Amino acid sequence: MSERTNGEAMIVAEDVEKWFAGFQALRGVSTTVRRGEVVVIVGPSGSGKSTFIRTINRLERHDKGRIVVDGIELTDDIRNIERIRSEIGIVFQSFNLFPHLRVVENLTLAPRNVRRWPRAKAEEKARQLLERVGIPEQARKYPSQLSGGQQQRVAIARALVMEPKIMLFDEPTSALDPEMIKEVLDVMKELATSGITMVVITHEIGFAKEVADRVLFFEEGRVVEEGPPGEFFSNPREERTKQFLSQILV
Amino acid sequence: MSRPPAVPRDLERAPMVGADERVVEVAPVAAPATTREWLRQNLFSSWPNGLLTIVTSAILLYLAFRLLRFVFVSADWSVLKANLRVYMTGRFPVEELWRVWAAVYLVTALAGISRGMLLRTRWTTTRVLSVAVPVVLLIGALLYLVDSARVWLLLGVAVAVLLVGTVVGRRLGPTRRAPLLVAWVLAFPAVILTLRAFGGVKPELWGGFLLNVIVATVAIFASFPLGLILALGRRSRLPAVSAFSVGVIEVVRGVPLVAWLFFGQFVLPLLLPAGLAVPNIVRAMIMFTIFSAAYVAEIVRGGLQGVPEGQYEAARALGLRPARMMALVILPQALRSTIPAMISHFISLFKDTSLLAALGLFSELLRTARRASASIEFIGLQAEALLPAALIFWVVAFSMSRWSQRVEVRVGVGER
Repeated sequence: MSERTNGEAMIVAEDVEKWFAGFQALRGVSTTVRRGEVVVIVGPSGSGKSTFIRTINRLERHDKGRIVVDGIELTDDIRNIERIRSEIGIVFQSFNLFPHLRVVENLTLAPRNVRRWPRAKAEEKARQLLERVGIPEQARKYPSQLSGGQQQRVAIARALVMEPKIMLFDEPTSALDPEMIKEVLDVMKELATSGITMVVITHEIGFAKEVADRVLFFEEGRVVEEGPPGEFFSNPREERTKQFLSQILV
Repeated sequence: MSRPPAVPRDLERAPMVGADERVVEVAPVAAPATTREWLRQNLFSSWPNGLLTIVTSAILLYLAFRLLRFVFVSADWSVLKANLRVYMTGRFPVEELWRVWAAVYLVTALAGISRGMLLRTRWTTTRVLSVAVPVVLLIGALLYLVDSARVWLLLGVAVAVLLVGTVVGRRLGPTRRAPLLVAWVLAFPAVILTLRAFGGVKPELWGGFLLNVIVATVAIFASFPLGLILALGRRSRLPAVSAFSVGVIEVVRGVPLVAWLFFGQFVLPLLLPAGLAVPNIVRAMIMFTIFSAAYVAEIVRGGLQGVPEGQYEAARALGLRPARMMALVILPQALRSTIPAMISHFISLFKDTSLLAALGLFSELLRTARRASASIEFIGLQAEALLPAALIFWVVAFSMSRWSQRVEVRVGVGER
């Protein structure tokens, strides 16, 4: 999949730092994600991987360094933030669906209110996406009536409805019962082959081996090691990486 | 793409039983066969229980007997009969009462249409009884209290308007909710105009239950948006805005409502521009509104705290701007969870309109009732004069509570 790694830069992070009340979560993260690339981030909890992807669409403000998304630098300027958010979809560990809205309304909310699409157009788009994630028959239900796996697939569809160029996944399968992980990973694999740029935090090694172009290992707010998945998982260079992999690959 | 096999919904949602878990079977609880059995199981299961049952029923029967004897034998309801109009409208001039009737018809028509449009009542035995018993009691009371054929006719028209409204509402169907909401919003100014406009009745002369209802309605509908603004202001990132909101809320809550009402009468005029003469009833409404807004703000704040951070993040990540995020994602969830507390607050606000009596300026229901019992011809009839006023408050408060329960079920509080 090396042709994917030579495209133009979609996300550029240079020396990104982030503090939370006396605690430094990111200690100078630099990486470049190219168009169409699928990057998987692994690392122990508290290593800053989640904070890092949340800085990319400004759910967290970075305190130092530079983040450029598709040529737009992420600054305090609200117009830049809005433009960048419109290019990025994010999927959370805890789904964060809107519980008071039906599935279809969860999907049409943003296109109708941000893009000003007419209802029919938004609903048609929602229908297509629910088809794509395999649950068109659930459109009229409320999120609480769905299983965890179905909810996460709705969340993926909701993130896709704004037609983003980049999808961020923050541990999308860690809150799921084991029998539901596969249905979500299948959707993500299909996405990965569609050519969208993806940054995925996950400990699903099978998924990483199959679709990732590159794996980043985070520890203590730094990228400790990175490489193509084959090399990264079978022959890690750093001692710390070996130790971590031996823990998750039991 | 793999799709989960079609499974019936109840099976899909049933908890899975692990292979090593033992399934414990529970014998079905048999319903008691006879009334005798039921009594034995529930009221006389042991000696102390039996004794308790006998003593409590004796007390209850005695109280019921005394109450019924009072209502039907010893009470002299002449005070109520002579003052019924005053209870309802206070000093409202008799020749202008058609305005009140017109307002009542307007509201009943809207209520009927709303019922027809929104409520699908299934007439179970319990529900039939819960409507029939109060209606029979009310008709019984009115038969005694109302002699005038004209009033009977006017009441009959009100019932007819309600029923016709229901039929019309059912025809319209549940789809036209937006116009209905607009109609309700416009209804209030329409009522005020009906009472006031074209040589109508000055607010100083509004009284009785009419006044309680108008003041409570104004305070409820004005304090809701104001409280919402205060609640959002309190969470603002701008220190000036949040400090101002906190200040208003704490100062307003920290002083008794009666004191604020006096403030409205005696201090507020000094603060207003000299040429501006605000009628004292309007000043009272302003104070009720501000007082209520502080409580609404705190109730809404509680609701806002119940909305998880992830909801804000999801909304922001989708590109919703703050105002839309609040209006479409956060507030619908926050407000839904506040319905019980909010209705509870509004019920107590409604009852607090009786504090207008303390000002000695307004003839609201409670003051009207006390004055009725104070007149020479009805001396000694305090109970007969005051109980009906209490009953009227209770009926409205109880209806609000029942109504809020139906709203809760409709919007699914605690379910989604």
